[in-house]
Amino acid sequence: MFDDTTVTNANDARGHPEIAVHDAHPPESHTRHSSTFDARAVAIAILGWIFPGLGHALLKMWGRAITICLTVAFLVYLGAGMRGNLFPPGGEDAFARLGYAADLGTGSFYYLARALEAAGPDVSHADGDYGTRFLATAGVLNLLAALHAYEAARRRKA
Amino acid sequence: MTVLVPLQLSHFQCFLLFALIISLAFGTLGRRQPLERLKYATWSFAMFVAVGIALAWLMYPFSR
Repeated sequence: MFDDTTVTNANDARGHPEIAVHDAHPPESHTRHSSTFDARAVAIAILGWIFPGLGHALLKMWGRAITICLTVAFLVYLGAGMRGNLFPPGGEDAFARLGYAADLGTGSFYYLARALEAAGPDVSHADGDYGTRFLATAGVLNLLAALHAYEAARRRKA
Repeated sequence: MTVLVPLQLSHFQCFLLFALIISLAFGTLGRRQPLERLKYATWSFAMFVAVGIALAWLMYPFSR
């Protein structure tokens, strides 16, 4: 369907248009470079998910790395301090499973929040309910940051 | 033993804190230059607060 040649228009010295046909870059080297780059971008995104801000730190985006780390950490601290519900794995309904997915978005901070919230969740008061939202927001925000790091690693976004 | 200070915030305090933290993150992720980040974060914070208060008033007649 596609060949390995590129057709370009060029004007010669007399001003007559010419059609130049030349070989393009070998496709296999481009594919290899692209797949390596994608693997690196995926690794950066995963590391950014595991530890909030690490993906941007590896890309030397220090301001973003610090901001993401601090905002996610602060949201987790607030959520755990308000004794929000940190959903455990294996929830029995879709809401619990979605909540677990959102909470797990904080990566390693999920286990930090579990350790901090030694007394367990208490959603009998409004504070606990707000805390649940803070914890879920921290996870979703970290997933967004990991996606941003992935896009930045692929040079699609800076 | 708990290492956390128990937090008791009002609904409005939670709302403002949430808007502030998310706006800071949006500003930092969404823009590159410091001034643009500040403008975007301020705009985002203002929109969070304005839309939140507007929705609260819209829901007020059905709250009781």
